Amino acid sequence: MLRPELWRTTTFRLTLVFGAVFAAGVVTLLGLVYFSAAVFLTQQMDQIIVGQAHALQDVAPAVLPERMRQVETQDVRNVYFYGLFSPGGAWIAGNVRRLPQDVPANGIPRELREPGFQPGARAMAERLSSGEILFIGFDAKVLTGLRLIILQSVIWSGALIIVAGLGLGAALSLGPLRRIQAVQQASLPIQDGDLGARLPISNRGDEIDMLAGIANGMMDEVERLLWAVKSVGDNVAHDLRTPLTRLRAQLYRVRQETDAGDAHLGMLDQALVETDFLLARFKALQRISEIDRRERRAGFAAVRLQALVEEIGELYEPLAEEHGLTLVTEADMPCEIQADRELLFEAFSNLVGNAVKFTPAGGRVRLVLTKRAEGPRLEIFDSGPGVPEDEREAVLERFYRGRNRNQTPGSGLGLSIVAAVARLHDFRLALGDAMPGLKVTLDCWPVAMGR
Amino acid sequence: MTRILVIEDDETTSREIAAELGRRGFEVECAADGREGLVRAVSGEFAAVTLDRMLPNVDGLTIVSVMRTTGIDIPVLMISALTEVDERVRGLRAGGDDYLTKPFASEEMAARLEVLLRRARALPRETLLTVKDLELDLVTREARRGGRAIALMPTEFKLLEFLMRNSGEVLTRTMIFEAIWGYHFDPGTNLIDVHLSRLRRKVDGPGQEPMIRTIRGSGYALNAAS
Repeated sequence: MLRPELWRTTTFRLTLVFGAVFAAGVVTLLGLVYFSAAVFLTQQMDQIIVGQAHALQDVAPAVLPERMRQVETQDVRNVYFYGLFSPGGAWIAGNVRRLPQDVPANGIPRELREPGFQPGARAMAERLSSGEILFIGFDAKVLTGLRLIILQSVIWSGALIIVAGLGLGAALSLGPLRRIQAVQQASLPIQDGDLGARLPISNRGDEIDMLAGIANGMMDEVERLLWAVKSVGDNVAHDLRTPLTRLRAQLYRVRQETDAGDAHLGMLDQALVETDFLLARFKALQRISEIDRRERRAGFAAVRLQALVEEIGELYEPLAEEHGLTLVTEADMPCEIQADRELLFEAFSNLVGNAVKFTPAGGRVRLVLTKRAEGPRLEIFDSGPGVPEDEREAVLERFYRGRNRNQTPGSGLGLSIVAAVARLHDFRLALGDAMPGLKVTLDCWPVAMGR
Repeated sequence: MTRILVIEDDETTSREIAAELGRRGFEVECAADGREGLVRAVSGEFAAVTLDRMLPNVDGLTIVSVMRTTGIDIPVLMISALTEVDERVRGLRAGGDDYLTKPFASEEMAARLEVLLRRARALPRETLLTVKDLELDLVTREARRGGRAIALMPTEFKLLEFLMRNSGEVLTRTMIFEAIWGYHFDPGTNLIDVHLSRLRRKVDGPGQEPMIRTIRGSGYALNAAS
């Protein structure tokens, strides 16, 4: 069964997806703020630069260097770049010693990409009427600061969203998870065949309750149908047995009154055989429901298994011999269990009967009783064709007969009776490979003990 | 003529039982009601009773236990639709001699009743059973046929004893399985047949007249009239 895991729950996944979308939203929002601010700040810087250039370009060339020094000293924030260069590009005045190559002297502000300047800094150069080149720039300190703030916001809010999302997801999933586990627990008996068990429903009326309610409704219907089918089967078997018995009685009477030389004798005998076969089938069907209906432990008493197995061996030895088989009983240890002796004998009898029936002449059937830690185990080995692995479950069902076994007579219900007896005792019945042949194991201790 | 009382409230079943027993030469009387059945059962006019488990007024269990407490010990064959093992045990404990579940084959019912009647007639302390030249000593556990000793396994001994005690009667496979092995399920035809054919090989030696007869569609009989 799939073990419920936290990170597989729908709630947890939903919370995570929600967190991721939220984080993406935050990043987008902050990015948008940054972008808009950057555009606005750049415009501001450009206006400042152009203003400064206007203020300086009309100053007489002779006093310009002096004037620039003054302006420079007034720039307490240290955000302006100034430079005055000769027409050949040699430095005359200002805090920029070398004319940046990527700023053409055309009076249009643009970004300073030279190394030594912060990204986003703006600058312009202009050729004065004297032929000298005036360079004005504005550092991107605000922009850099803003970028830093936004980046930190993204990191911190992202981390917070992820941690909070995981925590919230786990917290939200835990409740439903516990209830799913409760449902799973409650469904175990149903899987084990207790069709009367139901899933728990809380009073919340949420989706889990709805699903549990639907499942319970389906179980009600399955149980009802199963009972209906079962009782129909029982009733059919019961109702048909009486007329069939009468039919057989009539046939038998006719056969008794038919003269030995009559040509119809063979046909009558055949009809009797067929009727007996039908009757045996219905009887077996009724027998299964009878065993299934029986109160557990009603007929239980101490049963000496060794004696029972030996008795079975003795009962079947002549039949095995007639089939040309060797029947070996290996039951050395005395052991006693609480069981219904008659039913257990019937089950063993069916198992050995099957083994004898399906094993070809010259083969061997072994009945082995061993003592395990949990209790006695009966194994029946034959050297017959065995049962293919994919059919081993199915052969325990009513009416199932192996693919290759249609030529062998039988009701097809023998193993179902054994299965019913095993169910009543809570014993484990398993088919296996005897290599070659079939191995049938009946663990004579309650399965529930090992759980 | 042996008189049999059939206490059965289902008319069809009652008719069926009466017809089968009539065919076998019994004189049959039927009672459909528990009270009436009880009155006639204790009258002392009958050799045996077939008794339905469930009857109007007085039920089968009560009838048989009243019969036993009043000292009527004629054979009672209980017939019931209740198949549960506990029901069988309860029926036998109340004083029934045999228990047959519905639906049943008429000849099975008749065979069981004949065996019961036979048992009731048998001498209580027989130690030597004899059928023609076949002898079975129950004390020394020895069997002989015409002076020839027959070595028998324990099961074969029980089987032969059962056949000899009921010689001439038809014994169905179910009856044999119940009597010898003591179980009440359907063991399948072959299983009992092979035990009988083994016994037959020992009892019917070469050149001897066959004593164990197979009755087709029914069962076996020892030295039955052909």
